[in-house]
Amino acid sequence: MDTPARIAITGLGTWIGARLAERLLAHKSGLSVVGIDIRRPYRLEGRIRFHRVDLTDPTADGRLAEILERERVEALVHAAFRREPTPDLEDDHELETVGSLHVLHACAAAKVRRFVLASSTMLYGPWPDNPNFLTEQHPLRGHPDAHSVRNRVEVESLLAGWTTRHPDCEVTVLRPCWIMGPSYWDHVVRMFARPVVTTLLGYDPLLQFVHEEDCLRAFEAATLGRHPGVFNLAGRGVLPLSTVIALAGKRSLPLPVPLFYRMLHYPAQGQTGDPPAGFYDYLRYLWVADGERGWSAFGEPLYTTREAWISFVSSRRLRRYR
Amino acid sequence: MASGGEEADVGAHELRQALGALRDEIRARLPRGSGTGEGRGPGPDWMELFDELRRRVNSFGMSERSGEVDEFGMDELVLRQAEPVLDFLMDRWWRVDVQGAENVPSAQGCLLAANGSGLLPYDGLMISHALGRGQPFDARPRFLVADWLITLPFVQPYLARLGGVRACRENAQRLLAKGRRVVAFPEGVKGAAKVFRERYRLKRFGRGGVVRLAIESGTPLLPVAVVGAEEAHPILFKIETLARVVGLPFVPVTPTFPAFGPLGLVPLPSKWSIRFGEAIALDHLGSEAADDELLVSRLTEELRAQIQAMVEQSLHERPSVWG
Repeated sequence: MDTPARIAITGLGTWIGARLAERLLAHKSGLSVVGIDIRRPYRLEGRIRFHRVDLTDPTADGRLAEILERERVEALVHAAFRREPTPDLEDDHELETVGSLHVLHACAAAKVRRFVLASSTMLYGPWPDNPNFLTEQHPLRGHPDAHSVRNRVEVESLLAGWTTRHPDCEVTVLRPCWIMGPSYWDHVVRMFARPVVTTLLGYDPLLQFVHEEDCLRAFEAATLGRHPGVFNLAGRGVLPLSTVIALAGKRSLPLPVPLFYRMLHYPAQGQTGDPPAGFYDYLRYLWVADGERGWSAFGEPLYTTREAWISFVSSRRLRRYR
Repeated sequence: MASGGEEADVGAHELRQALGALRDEIRARLPRGSGTGEGRGPGPDWMELFDELRRRVNSFGMSERSGEVDEFGMDELVLRQAEPVLDFLMDRWWRVDVQGAENVPSAQGCLLAANGSGLLPYDGLMISHALGRGQPFDARPRFLVADWLITLPFVQPYLARLGGVRACRENAQRLLAKGRRVVAFPEGVKGAAKVFRERYRLKRFGRGGVVRLAIESGTPLLPVAVVGAEEAHPILFKIETLARVVGLPFVPVTPTFPAFGPLGLVPLPSKWSIRFGEAIALDHLGSEAADDELLVSRLTEELRAQIQAMVEQSLHERPSVWG
């Protein structure tokens, strides 16, 4: 199978789902896109075939399989993940892990021939013993305090088992690093959008970003072409956290680690349900991914890490002055 | 939008110019004497000091460093700023005597195996400075640093900028594949944490990782003997219980640390020598030899013995610890 004619997107309302749907609809060969989500996205009204499925519903797999079969879906992009972790740990697990399991079961039943998973390099986890560049073979160790990352590590291991049991389905896993750009928005972006960025005293890790355009290009290529395997999506180059903050003209508020983790324990739990280490360890240790495999498969990225960051910063400035 | 970086840099430059003009304006309007101190003779320039302070306070002087770093985090700007300090340490403080630098290939990647010593990776810094001085930024050898040190708060940002890389197989492979010169300390933490009475007695060389790496990557392997670094931070003994509480592999007690607090971390001015041996030929072996455990362990032991002999020769030639 080269180019699928009918493509389903689970999590149509997520940023990746909605943007990818728009790009696929703009494609010249007249693809038809089947959107699956809990809410109808008004921007795509009338242009796609929308089905309302709640993935946390215990019978979602059956309903989804029926839809996929009826629509004769050939490729499915699974992006139904929370944009940011919520305090409701159990609900996040139901949607992200169990929901993904439902999607996999439905794909097997409907004999979908291409499966694309939206993952993240955050799944490698920030560990002091990470090598400077994590390749796709590196084990996904996640972070014990980040429940969303934990859920998605579980999804990847479920998918790995599923892939061996369904060899006739081409499975592509895309792991973008932190996405930056004019329109992308999540809890990472929100943290960087503040005028004062909380950092950890004495730590200045290297970070990498991928621009939203490069990220979407890779998703589009993986959906339309044959690219089985796992790919990290990253911009070229790395930037130290302090440089990232200085480039944006922001200030950093460095806090001592143990005190900070204890002090912010309760307020941070209100936002994400996780202890602060679950996020702030990503500003402490290295977790830079090696993007080489992704670059050779999907082409040279248009933006380097620095350019992706500057694109985000300048778009934020424009928004503020408008 | 690919030129976004340049545009922003131009913008930042203009902003800086505008800020400078604003400061001059404020200075001109200030009452006489409080600004540049002309009225009262040479006094401290408070405005200047304030600016400097504000700049430094922001995240330990890191905020101005918006230069490009290479993929392992080495920063050309910081290195250029640190150059006088490194020169001072090399020429005045430790009076490093470098021998056999001509053995080290300059155009090709190679693996340098050295005896580890001293608390902080001054030895790695000095080897890399001895070879990289006066050479282009990219050609500077990178030195491998043990995990516990490269993730230590306050040390980590500086080490990475000065060319330190976390010691692991993947990093070394990547650097060698790019034709970089890599300084490794095969003894690992055992070497850096040696107490003073065990000085210059090389510990076991891990599990032969250095030799295996050189065989696999087909790069020359050079023995390096560093003498003098053991006396820079003589470790009298180690406090095990405290180390467990703090979460470090060891807490050293030197004649000056922790008695003098952070000042005790200033290394003693011992006389150093760095001796580069001749490359050990491994290219006739072929990459499958890396799987031959017995061969690797024999070569590793030979390497250890060679470095030990070089260290002893340097010690013999050294008139005294302080030279």
